[in-house]
Amino acid sequence: MGKLARLRMRLLGREADRGLLFRLFMYVLLIDVAFIYLKPVFYMVTTMVKNAGDLLDPAVIWVPSAIYGGHLAEAFRMLHYAGSFALSSGLSLLVAVLQVLSCAVAGYAFARLDFPLKKLWFAALLFTFIMPPQVTILPSILMFKDLGWINTVLPMVVPALFGHGLKGALFVIIFRQFFGTLPKEMEEAARIDGAGAFRIFFRVMLPISRSAIIVVFLFSFVWTWNDAYFPSMYMFGASDVPLSVGMAKLNASLSMESDQGGLRVFVEPLKMAASFLIILPLLVLYAFTQRWFVEGVERTGLVE
Amino acid sequence: MSKRRKPNSAMLRKVEGSIFIAPWVFGFLAFVAFPLGYSFYMSFHQVRITVTGVQTTPVGFQYYREILFADGGLLYDDLFPFLREALVMIPIIIVFSLLIAIMLNLKFYGRTAFRVIFFLPVIFSSGQIITEFISQGEGELSIIQNLRIDSFLAEYIPASWAGPIQNVIGSFVLVLWYSGVQILIFLAGRQTISASVYEAARIDGADPWSTFWKITLPGLAPFIFLNVIYTIVDLFTFPSNPIIGKVTTENYGVSSALAWVYFMIVLLFIGIALFLYGRVNKSMTARR
Repeated sequence: MGKLARLRMRLLGREADRGLLFRLFMYVLLIDVAFIYLKPVFYMVTTMVKNAGDLLDPAVIWVPSAIYGGHLAEAFRMLHYAGSFALSSGLSLLVAVLQVLSCAVAGYAFARLDFPLKKLWFAALLFTFIMPPQVTILPSILMFKDLGWINTVLPMVVPALFGHGLKGALFVIIFRQFFGTLPKEMEEAARIDGAGAFRIFFRVMLPISRSAIIVVFLFSFVWTWNDAYFPSMYMFGASDVPLSVGMAKLNASLSMESDQGGLRVFVEPLKMAASFLIILPLLVLYAFTQRWFVEGVERTGLVE
Repeated sequence: MSKRRKPNSAMLRKVEGSIFIAPWVFGFLAFVAFPLGYSFYMSFHQVRITVTGVQTTPVGFQYYREILFADGGLLYDDLFPFLREALVMIPIIIVFSLLIAIMLNLKFYGRTAFRVIFFLPVIFSSGQIITEFISQGEGELSIIQNLRIDSFLAEYIPASWAGPIQNVIGSFVLVLWYSGVQILIFLAGRQTISASVYEAARIDGADPWSTFWKITLPGLAPFIFLNVIYTIVDLFTFPSNPIIGKVTTENYGVSSALAWVYFMIVLLFIGIALFLYGRVNKSMTARR
C-alpha cells in the first residue's frame, strides 16, 4: 500500500491537476460520463427519423439510410403540439418570472432584513423544502376546486406569485444564500444616503444578482416545463394540457394501441419523436443561456 | 453597527422586513399550512365528496392502523425495496457528483464543452423523458452484465439487500442522470473556498492528496449535507416512486394517512442525515 501511494504521488505531480496519470484518468472518466449523457439523445434523434424499412432492418442501428419525418409529424399531431406548446411555454415563463421575483424578495428578507418570528418562519421555509407535495395535494385540490380554479393554470401560477409552488422553497433558499454572501457595505452606503429597503432592493441588490436570477429562472422554467404531476392533478379535465401531461397521455394511448394488435415497431420512434418535440424548446433555451448559466452557477456561491 | 442606530430606526427596519416577507408568509399559510392541517384532519376521517360539499366522519386511527399493521401491501411491499435502493443510491450520487464537480472545476482543455454536457441532466431528469430512457434500457450499463456482478452479489450479500443493490447497479446510468443538480451545487460550493487557502497549502508543501482531504472536503461539508438533503427530497418525490402513485383522489382519508406516514419516513431519513452531519462536524472541529 505504501509503495502504491508513493507511485501515485509521483504520477500525480506536485499539483492536483498537473500529473499525467491524473489527467488521463480525468479525461477517460469525463468522456465516459459525457458519452452516457449524450447517448440517449443520439438514440432519440436517430430513432425518430428511421423509416419502416430501417426500423425492421437489424443492420441499421445508429445511422438511418434516409431521414423520414413521418414520426415527427405524427407525434406533432398526437401531442396537439401547437396548442400544448403555447400553454407549456406561457405557463413556464409566467411561473419562472413570478418565482424569480417573489423568491428574491423572500430570500432577501431572510438574508438581510429583520422581522418578527424570523427563526420560526425560517423553520417553516425548511419545512416547506423537505415536505413532499403529496402531503398537501389532496386538500389543495379541494381548495382550488372551491375557488373554481380546477382545469385552469391558476393552481400552478398563484402559489408562484407568493414564492411557493414547484420547488419554491428551494429558490428562496438559493436567493437567501446568494444575498447572504454579498458584501454589506453597499447596502450600508445606500442606507446612509437615505434609501429605504425597497430602493436598496430594487436599485442596488437586484441589478447585481443577475447570476442568481438566471439560475433560478432556468431551474424554475425547466422544472415547470417538465412537471407532469401538478398539471395532471389540477388539470385532469382540461382540454388543453401542458406538453408534459400530453406525453403521459400519448404513452397511454400508444400502449393501448399496441395491446390491441397495432404495429409495435412504430411505438418506439413515435415516443422518441414526442420526447424530442418536448425537450427541443428546452435545449434551444439552454443553448442560448448556457454561458450565463454556467457563470451564474459559479457566482451563486460567490465569495472570492 | 446596531449600537449607533436609534430605536425608531430599528422599528422601521422591522416594518420594512415584515413587508418584504409578508407575501411569502401569506403563501405559506394559504398553500402549505392550511392544506397541511386539512390533510392531517382528513387522515383521521372518512371523507365523502358530495355535490353539496365535503362530508367527514371521524374514524380515529383506523387508516393508520390499516396502513401500518393490517394491510402490508400498501406500504411495505412497494416502499421497503425502494427505501433500500435509495439508501444505496444516495451515497453513490453524492460521491459521483463530488468527483465530477471537482474535475469540472479544474482548468483543462475542453472544460466549457464538458460543462455544457454535464448540465444536460438538469434538463432531462426532471421530466417524463427520463422514464422513456429507462424503458428503452438506456439505464443499464452493458459492462455490468459482462462482468457477472449480479451472480457475485447474490452469493455474498443477503437476499433482501442483493436485490436493491442489483437494481442500483443495473440502473447505474440512471444514478448518473439523477446527479445533475448535485453537480451544480458542488460546483457552486467549490467557489466558496478561496484560492488563497490552496496557495498557502501549496507553499507549505502539502501534496494534492492531503489538500483534498484537509481543505476541499471540509470546505464542502455544508454542501455535502445540502446535497444529501436535496437528494433525499428529490428521490422521494420522483415520478418513479411507488408511493406517489398511491396518493389519489379515490379515497381522501386513506391517501392522506399514507402521505403522512410517508412524510414521517422522509423526516426520519433527513433526521439521520442531520445527526450524521452533526457528528462529522463535531469530530472535524475537534480534530482541528
